[in-house]
Amino acid sequence: MSQNFRLNTGGLINRDKPIEFKFNGKKYIGYEGDTLASALLANGIHLIGRSFKYHRPRGFFGAGVDEPNAKMQVEINGCSEPNINATEIELVNGLSASSQNCWPSVNFDIGAINNFLNRFFPAGFYYKTFMWPKSFWYRVYEPFIRKAAGLGIASLEKDKERYEHKYEYCDLLVTGSGPAGLASAYAAAKNGAKVILAEDKPRYGGTLLTDDVTIDNLSGKDWSEKIISELKEMPNVIVKNRSQVFGYYDHNMMVMFERTGDHLEKKPKYTPRQRLWYIRAKEVLLSTGSIERPIVFGNNDTPGVFLSAAAKEYMKVYGVLIGKKPIIFTNNDSGYETAIEFKKNGVNPIVLDTREDQKSELINEAKDLDIKIKFSYAVIVAHGYKKVKSATIGKLNKEKIDFENTEQIDCDSICVSGFWTPTVHLASQSGNKLKFNDTIDAFVPDKSKQNEHSLGAANGTFTLQDTLKNSFNTGSEVSKSITKKDEKIQIPNTNERKYSAHDKFWCSPLPKGKNYKRFVDFQNDVAVSDIEVALREGYRSIEHVKRYTTLGMATDQGRTSNLNGLQLVANVEKKIVPQVGHTTFRPPFTPVTIGTIVGREIGKEYMPTRKTPMHHWHEKNNAVWVDAGAWKRPRYYKRGNENLFEASKREAKNVRDHVGVCDVTTLGKIDIKGPDAAEFLNRVYTNAWLKLPIGKARYGVMLREDGIVMDDGTTTRISENHYHMTTTTAQAANVLSHLEYYLQIVWPELNVNVVSTTEQWAGAAIAGPKSRDLLAKLFPKIDVSNEALPFMGYVEGDLFGVKARIFRISFSGELAYEINVESDFGLFMWEKIIDIGEEFNIQPYGTEALSTLRIEMGHVAGPELDGRTIPYDVSLEGLVSKKKDFIGKRSLAKEAFNKADRQKIVGLVPLDRKSSIPEGSHLVENKNAKLPNPKLGHVSSSCWSVENNNPFSLAILKDGKNMIGKKLFAVSPLKNTSIEVEVMSSHYVDHEGKRVRS
Amino acid sequence: MLNIKCPYCGDRSQKEFAYGGDGTITRPKLNQEISDEEWDNFVYLRKSPRGKHIELWHHIAGCRQWFKVERDTTTHEIFRTFKPEE
Amino acid sequence: MQKYSVFSLIKNAFSNHEKWDLAWKDPTPKKEYDVVIIGGGGHGLATAYYLAKEHQITNVAVIEKGWIGGGNIGRNTTIIRSNFMYDDNARFNEFGMNLWRNMSQELNFNVMFSPRGIINLAHSDAQMNAYARRGNSMRLNGIDAVLLNREEVKKIIPMADFSDDVRYPIFGGLAQPSAGTARHDAVAWGYARQADSMGVDIIQNCEVTGFDIEAGKITGLRTSRGDIKSKKIGLCVAGSTNVLAEKLNMTLPIETHLLQACVSEPVKPVLDGVVTFGAGHFYISQSDKGEMVMGGDLDGYNSYAQKGNLPTIQHVLTGGVALFPFLSRLKMLRTWGGIMDMSMDGSPIIDKTHIDGLYLNCGWCYGGFKSVPSSGWTFAHTIAQDRVHELNEGFSLNRFSKGYLLDEKGLGTKTWIS
Repeated sequence: MSQNFRLNTGGLINRDKPIEFKFNGKKYIGYEGDTLASALLANGIHLIGRSFKYHRPRGFFGAGVDEPNAKMQVEINGCSEPNINATEIELVNGLSASSQNCWPSVNFDIGAINNFLNRFFPAGFYYKTFMWPKSFWYRVYEPFIRKAAGLGIASLEKDKERYEHKYEYCDLLVTGSGPAGLASAYAAAKNGAKVILAEDKPRYGGTLLTDDVTIDNLSGKDWSEKIISELKEMPNVIVKNRSQVFGYYDHNMMVMFERTGDHLEKKPKYTPRQRLWYIRAKEVLLSTGSIERPIVFGNNDTPGVFLSAAAKEYMKVYGVLIGKKPIIFTNNDSGYETAIEFKKNGVNPIVLDTREDQKSELINEAKDLDIKIKFSYAVIVAHGYKKVKSATIGKLNKEKIDFENTEQIDCDSICVSGFWTPTVHLASQSGNKLKFNDTIDAFVPDKSKQNEHSLGAANGTFTLQDTLKNSFNTGSEVSKSITKKDEKIQIPNTNERKYSAHDKFWCSPLPKGKNYKRFVDFQNDVAVSDIEVALREGYRSIEHVKRYTTLGMATDQGRTSNLNGLQLVANVEKKIVPQVGHTTFRPPFTPVTIGTIVGREIGKEYMPTRKTPMHHWHEKNNAVWVDAGAWKRPRYYKRGNENLFEASKREAKNVRDHVGVCDVTTLGKIDIKGPDAAEFLNRVYTNAWLKLPIGKARYGVMLREDGIVMDDGTTTRISENHYHMTTTTAQAANVLSHLEYYLQIVWPELNVNVVSTTEQWAGAAIAGPKSRDLLAKLFPKIDVSNEALPFMGYVEGDLFGVKARIFRISFSGELAYEINVESDFGLFMWEKIIDIGEEFNIQPYGTEALSTLRIEMGHVAGPELDGRTIPYDVSLEGLVSKKKDFIGKRSLAKEAFNKADRQKIVGLVPLDRKSSIPEGSHLVENKNAKLPNPKLGHVSSSCWSVENNNPFSLAILKDGKNMIGKKLFAVSPLKNTSIEVEVMSSHYVDHEGKRVRS
Repeated sequence: MLNIKCPYCGDRSQKEFAYGGDGTITRPKLNQEISDEEWDNFVYLRKSPRGKHIELWHHIAGCRQWFKVERDTTTHEIFRTFKPEE
Repeated sequence: MQKYSVFSLIKNAFSNHEKWDLAWKDPTPKKEYDVVIIGGGGHGLATAYYLAKEHQITNVAVIEKGWIGGGNIGRNTTIIRSNFMYDDNARFNEFGMNLWRNMSQELNFNVMFSPRGIINLAHSDAQMNAYARRGNSMRLNGIDAVLLNREEVKKIIPMADFSDDVRYPIFGGLAQPSAGTARHDAVAWGYARQADSMGVDIIQNCEVTGFDIEAGKITGLRTSRGDIKSKKIGLCVAGSTNVLAEKLNMTLPIETHLLQACVSEPVKPVLDGVVTFGAGHFYISQSDKGEMVMGGDLDGYNSYAQKGNLPTIQHVLTGGVALFPFLSRLKMLRTWGGIMDMSMDGSPIIDKTHIDGLYLNCGWCYGGFKSVPSSGWTFAHTIAQDRVHELNEGFSLNRFSKGYLLDEKGLGTKTWIS
């Protein structure tokens, strides 16, 4: 297909490089440097999508981020992505796009029936209906609405692209490379400041690319190229195109995304698709420019209606005509620039100016070019369904609320200009309360709350001369205060046309008896009448209007609709716009790919994985892993076809019968040193610590101040003022912070230091009746007899040349030892234990066997210490000192904690000695009771007791030990089980604790 | 992301810190005779003003020191950071 | 009051929708009311409605500083559920579920309640056991709950990451099929419209500046629109509770925190129900408009800013992509923040106070939306009868000193660790 609407010359596209692409299955040709939008327009394609609610035909309206309509489904690198803005995506070979929200095709869309019924769908209609019959909302109406809503189709494939993050610090971040951005960045760079200049578009220069101006006798485009190339040469400057600063966060943290991949035809390996930049800037200069406001009129959403500046940009940047018979509908001089550009390209526009017989340099120029101008005229309504064919225009009466006469004229496009709205999003995000500027009828930044300045059009300055002057000065001043350098810069001479005053006219009145849809928000189909209904019904706050009508809530976030919406509310409410206020500007400025925000922490890298020094041994020996926070721990070591149950039973039994070894490296370890260490431990733990001898370990429980158990573990006195604390794997980090808090904030007078040594030590627990024999072989030089190394004893030893710590502590209830060596020797230790242990039938055991062993011994762990239990609840009252004070002690006196029938730990055995009791079951007296069935407690941990060869569980039960001997039901409605159980002591094995002391 | 000046290490990104809540709470002394109400107030009541707030932060990925910050809870502006004894 | 129906919609269409009534009036405050509710959010408006409907107290004003529905009712992620472990929370919210089911018809305002179900995913056996404990408790309380294994979860959300390239595989989940979502703004507007029609004055742009207390009794309040007398005043200002408490010289077991949420651009339906990730802070649902509605974690320091920072969003979305890798390719459209009353055990407070005639409704943490009807209903009862209802007995202010905590997560008083 030929590019019928491509001009023969002009534009910044590369005509030497044609690019083939597809739209709705059909092939087209564009050029390198096109956007998808400009390439389609070059081919005369205007009907590109359907609107959200009424499925009205829609075409391009803008040329960049202002575009409300042109959201497309685009195939990029084999992935189909919805809602891509065709005015922003750059054309690459093979790109394939299609229209969204239409079925079966954009040309013939069934959903358009909504348009013909639109009178029945005013704002908020769905709040008023779809209520009967009751079940129909969820079953009938809503599924229909959901199907009709939504824009594009999300691919459910895993995203194969790569996204990266980058962190930068700079003196000045300049957002936008129009005249304000270039001037301020240049001035600051000359002063030696570290500058980042970010431009959203592929081309630098902003309006300099489209405005007919000269700077120092260079065209705007040439001047911007000159400045950019100078900036790029400077080592203190980072210049980035395709980079949009989308968020202004606290403490001048700016976030930007850079489009690094999609515009490349062949992306090099490891080049990310996009990059997210977190930039901490000392100062931020906002040179984000302005966006043209539409004028509202009947059927103003018809394909062929454009913003006038967009029409100009398509000609000047892309060499594309958006129409060959345009109406320019304007309330200010900008429209004339577009008209002149059309004329220069051989097209005869007609200008409708809402102002009365206006005079200005531009108007004169237009007149000189023989451009037809009608003053006091407005477009009333556009005609044509899928493309503008003609328009009814009319002469406005004096008050501009009605028309004196109307006529219909042929046209193929309408370019509107309702003056300019500064892009104040980032300023507003920074906390800057905006103020309304009457002269330009728009909000502009007020006082800065953070270190930011708005420059140029973003600040409501619309002349090049003032923009350059202010921007050079601000760039220079702001950087000077940082770098203390002051390079004088000559502010260049400019040549631009003078504008005359704009007209406040923003919406064409409806002629009597006419009911044209006049859209304020295109994408969400919000018309003037919708906003009027909302106001009539009392939704009067601008936030109510927005929420009730969905004004400004579409993917373009109301960039072209906000101010007109405010103006309408102000008119109806007989207020002025600043009294109506504005809705909040929230990040991001334009939608940001979620993958970009996430970066590289995906898949297995979602969270770090912590591995012990013995990890690879476990792996080689068929460990089945369990996640313990960030750690990977062997849950069991699979032999043959064993399942979890069989393997853990084997491993646990082997511990009870012989000896087993378990990797306990993951336990938290904290080194505690200082003359007040004992006193500190005495305050932290509930039991007494002042008299622990050197070379002895003690089990301790620590509470939060609210009396709830925080953690438990053993602490060993290594030497006079040196202790080694262990914590649970889960609480290691919390406990360290907790100790530091008390040492630094509460009791700074205590001379104690704590430091985490979790990663410095590898730990192996050897447990079982043969563990002493094994230990003796591991440490032949040490007397490991019960007398020399009793329960809770500690010695240091030499493990074949490696320094080791040996603790006689037990979690399994068996005779057991824990050996620690420096992490680098962890694997060495482990292999020695396995090798030498062979003669004692050693087997490694995982966390599942570990659980079995501790449960049948009645040792509590995570499921019992669940952040809701106090020591009394879990049989730890013996560890609660009556004499001394400690963290959380005062809370233990609370009424609820001392209730006679409080839930406490017990053991449970099924009456049939066979049925395993699912964890999470609740205990009830009557399994068939009417609901709600009163719960007496719950099953916290269950195991198959290898000692007694039947199931055993721990439970937290109302009235605790007083219930021993009672029969109850452990019910799990979720699993449809109900097991009759007998309540017994929580210590099922070795009640007196003889084995650990043997 | 806040920019927090650790009084020991200097300016750092919030990523390195953990929050510690109301920094004006004083723990009752050990073995001190106090009423239930005083104890409960210590455990459960927090100052949570709109505006200036003195709070604790912990430089967990740095020097591991706890320190205090005066910060505005409406703008997040930090007025000063200081060592606990200051 | 005009009745909303398909017929009234058609009728009004032929008069160009020019004859719709005001949804609520805009009265000037009277000198005195029987009850004044401070806070025109979901809880306050619901309270006013139930005062009128259940207790025939209609000389009521709802005082709102800004515009009604502008607080957390308009900023939440619209999840409605009663999947609680503790009886007090479970029964209270299950009572609310029944109010939700009939709300559109009762209010004659389509609040779009949809029981699309919620799944809390588990990523370990330990987590499955914790969920079993909760789910069994729900079932014994007469609430629907289903424990799903990995395969069953896969049938419901096949686009979740069931591959090997995953840090925390999905083991299963706890589902409450009757849970769902509703259109948040509509709830505020529906209650407001009905309350208004029964005589309640809804007074917007009216800021409370002080209280009048005589001999331990509340007698009235001062506002930016004049003094108002009332012997009964209810506080329903979650998020700003501490600000008003300061004016009352009260300190509460509540910290004020910021919670952000975000939506993607709208896409065609891919996700029917609500899903929460169990290995990170992330939950998601898809709105009727097609936007993926996502949230997860507090910003982590006291704040009244209604405006958060990107790292929290990054953290939440990282969880999102870990669970649903396809989200990577969608675009984040909008982020926003709400201010939460974080109570010291994660459960709310609906109670009388030490000041006669002053009632407190606060501490909703990040779960206030689902409780709007049950909270309004019980708070209306508490105010009308001057005593708590058995449904909100557990939400007492003194439960902290007595130790009857309702700590669903077992995290204690570090409210910012969610």
